[in-house]
Amino acid sequence: MDRRNFLRVTTLAGGGMMLSLHAGAETFIAKNTTVSAEPIAAIPIGDFLMLKPDGEILFQLTKHEMGQGVSTSLAMILSEELGADWQRIKIEFPQANKKRYAALGEHGTGGSNTIIKMMPVLRKAGATVRQMLVEAAAQQWNTTVDACYAEKHFIIHKPSNRKLGFGELAEHASKLGVPTDVKLKEVKDFQLIGKPQSGKLISQVATGQNKYGIDVQVPGVLYALVMRSPVYRGKIRSIDSSKTLAVKGVKKVVTTRSIAGYKEARFEYDIREGVAVIADSYWAAKKGRDVLNVEWDEGINGSRNMEDFEKMVAERNSRRVDPTGFTGNENAVANLEHVKQSLYASYVFPYQLHSLMEPLNCTAHFKGDSCELWLGTQWPEFIINETVRLFNIKEENVQIHLHPSGGGFGRRAFPDMAIEALCISKEAGNVPVKMMWTREDDQQVNAAHCYQRIDYQAALDKDNKLYAWYEKETRTYDWGRKFVAPELTWSGYNIPNIRYDFDKMIEESIVQSTAWRAVMANGTAFSECFMDEVAEKMKQDPLALRLSLLEEGREVNVGHTQKINNTRLIRVLKLVAEKSGWGKSIVEKGKGRGIAVYPYLHGNSYCAMVADVTVQQNKLTVDRVTCAVDCGLVINPSGVKNQIEGGVVWGLTAVLHGGLEIKNGRATKNNFHQNKVLRIDECPKIDVHFIDTDDVNVWGIGELANPVIVPAVLNAVFAATGKRVRKLPVADAMSSA
Amino acid sequence: MAINLLINGKSVTYNDDPQMPLLWAIRDFAGLTGTKYGCGISQCGACTIHIDGKMVHSCSLPVSAAAGKSITTIEGLSPDGTHPLQLAWEEEDVPQCGYCQAGQIMAAAVFLKENPNPTDDAITQAMKGNICRCGTYIRIHRAIKRAAEINKQALR
Repeated sequence: MDRRNFLRVTTLAGGGMMLSLHAGAETFIAKNTTVSAEPIAAIPIGDFLMLKPDGEILFQLTKHEMGQGVSTSLAMILSEELGADWQRIKIEFPQANKKRYAALGEHGTGGSNTIIKMMPVLRKAGATVRQMLVEAAAQQWNTTVDACYAEKHFIIHKPSNRKLGFGELAEHASKLGVPTDVKLKEVKDFQLIGKPQSGKLISQVATGQNKYGIDVQVPGVLYALVMRSPVYRGKIRSIDSSKTLAVKGVKKVVTTRSIAGYKEARFEYDIREGVAVIADSYWAAKKGRDVLNVEWDEGINGSRNMEDFEKMVAERNSRRVDPTGFTGNENAVANLEHVKQSLYASYVFPYQLHSLMEPLNCTAHFKGDSCELWLGTQWPEFIINETVRLFNIKEENVQIHLHPSGGGFGRRAFPDMAIEALCISKEAGNVPVKMMWTREDDQQVNAAHCYQRIDYQAALDKDNKLYAWYEKETRTYDWGRKFVAPELTWSGYNIPNIRYDFDKMIEESIVQSTAWRAVMANGTAFSECFMDEVAEKMKQDPLALRLSLLEEGREVNVGHTQKINNTRLIRVLKLVAEKSGWGKSIVEKGKGRGIAVYPYLHGNSYCAMVADVTVQQNKLTVDRVTCAVDCGLVINPSGVKNQIEGGVVWGLTAVLHGGLEIKNGRATKNNFHQNKVLRIDECPKIDVHFIDTDDVNVWGIGELANPVIVPAVLNAVFAATGKRVRKLPVADAMSSA
Repeated sequence: MAINLLINGKSVTYNDDPQMPLLWAIRDFAGLTGTKYGCGISQCGACTIHIDGKMVHSCSLPVSAAAGKSITTIEGLSPDGTHPLQLAWEEEDVPQCGYCQAGQIMAAAVFLKENPNPTDDAITQAMKGNICRCGTYIRIHRAIKRAAEINKQALR
């Protein structure tokens, strides 16, 4: 790491101080953002924290707030080290800037890693400012820094109890040298971290003031709705826009041909070819699109149903490939010297829609050799890179106004909506255009969670012990397979021979695959269902079997940078068993409980769940879910619980209602009356418990819960009915009972 | 044909298609973006407003039907954000992404007015029309109960 101080401080006109980040020795005069009411002179690169003379602290949130609570948890870390008054910290959303925030890590938000990456930087930044404020006060009081400390927005002189407010000290502090060696607070001295805090944005959310991308109102903006190919990879054959152009308010009809198609970027994505109706209002654009006539060349997908595709996946998955990773002997499952009994099962985690409450949208203004965008995005850098590549605009001329979003869950990690909007803005004559997706677009022509099919095989030896474990997965997207090899899935059980094979089926996919909360872990967590099948075969209690396959202190290398820690698996299993009262026999007919445990390695957190369900007349009700969570040092317990509860609800939608029906290449369902999502009357009781831990590291939890609830519930369904459900949604399997 | 809308006590005139859903008049013509578009077919509740004190899905009401009526949006629920539901929302740390929450609060506000002493079941049934994809249902439920308590305390 560079020995130069990565932090720089400047004085604001008006007396405040601004904390910035070094990126080389460059400084430049930045455009005056609306960050502060005071006029700002030269702003060094990377301004992200401002302390104003009145004491207000403005924290520029460079990561994306999509409901996972980073605006609150990151501000808490900063506030703690600063010794600030939590109420005086305000969140602001900056413009994207790859260079400006490079030292803070990327804008890109996902993979449950934000808090892991931001914790050390924010602690250092907060401690640095605290130290400078202490120094300033000590100078003013003509005393030593050791005699002073920071608390709740004041620097206090211990012997005399004199105090000076942060705001009063700001200007003086801003002129001091920036210390390179700063002492961080001890964990035992934390006053804010670890205590439940209400979200920083609640008052603006509850009063309708929180501005999402869809709320942006740019002067002179036009509105665009796109009629996209109803079939994946279809192309426009002919357009009849005569009726559309006659609708009052419609200005122009253009195509997105110039940027449509499959994109071989760092992560592949697709933009369906489409015809955009541009009008002076949303309603005019909608009326115009309703009478637009487009004929399509549907290509091979136009004749495919989901059932056809699923047969292709099943066939592909039956083909032998080389192992992606294995321990022990790669052919152990077939070794008849040892194998006395075998079990087989196939599991499917089908395509899933995101159904984000804020439908995709982007306001874009293409200006020739520059452009301006307004949207909620998880990955501004991806948008910038693709804009440079596809529109020949220089990186520094791409301006993105960042907004919190009404849900990301992986869908907003991809740049397609920004590229579409820019194209339309350009075709409209370089005017600002707000491109919106209707809910019907969202449900019918969208990218989805990848389709995953996993065929399992377990082999028991003559002592009825698990001798070998084999998983073969076929998936419609790569997701890391390109980058980490060899690799196993994320079970940590002590089985002598484990093998994982992976095959991808991307060309034949009938919708575009994309990131969906927890990504490949959704399918691979079915190993917790198959373990249940093994327990049944061995006539063992599912918890007892799991514990017998785990060993305190044992760590398993699965090809990830994080190893799987058996102690952490054991701890959450034992806690969830205790809190749920696992072991008591259930006598009521139609009731059952199931257990599952899975880590999320990108966030390095662990979760175990017990689900209690009722199945009556083939109808499944999830009554209660008990969760045990190990996420290391908890910053905001209320925020973490919200994520676990939310993850359970997210997973249950996939269990009860999910999947994607396709006939002749077209999605058959077009809105929430047909594609149901979990509502409040289907939400179980959810109890979340944290393990006791000495771990002082923070670990991420955004994607921890939803992969675990699925096997927990499916195992519970088996306990209640004796029926194995191996494919979501459960309703389809139950109705064929 | 000019349609006069009274939104949060302010007059707004709309001159275009009388069949346009009220939602778009509120968002794009009155500039009040707290009321959200979620589905357009009265399935998700994100567009919930009050007309003459009753709960309405603004995505499914033509703007002409709201002429001359008293419309309240989330921005007008309280002059200073201190409606008991808004206070309870803060206390119970309800929102995640927040997009559905204005609709949740507006639906709950009418429900609580008509049911100041709600049972758990009644709350659940009343809020079935509002989707939350982030899954804050447990907290929504708890906050509605808390708001009912706040109301009762205020009455003493």
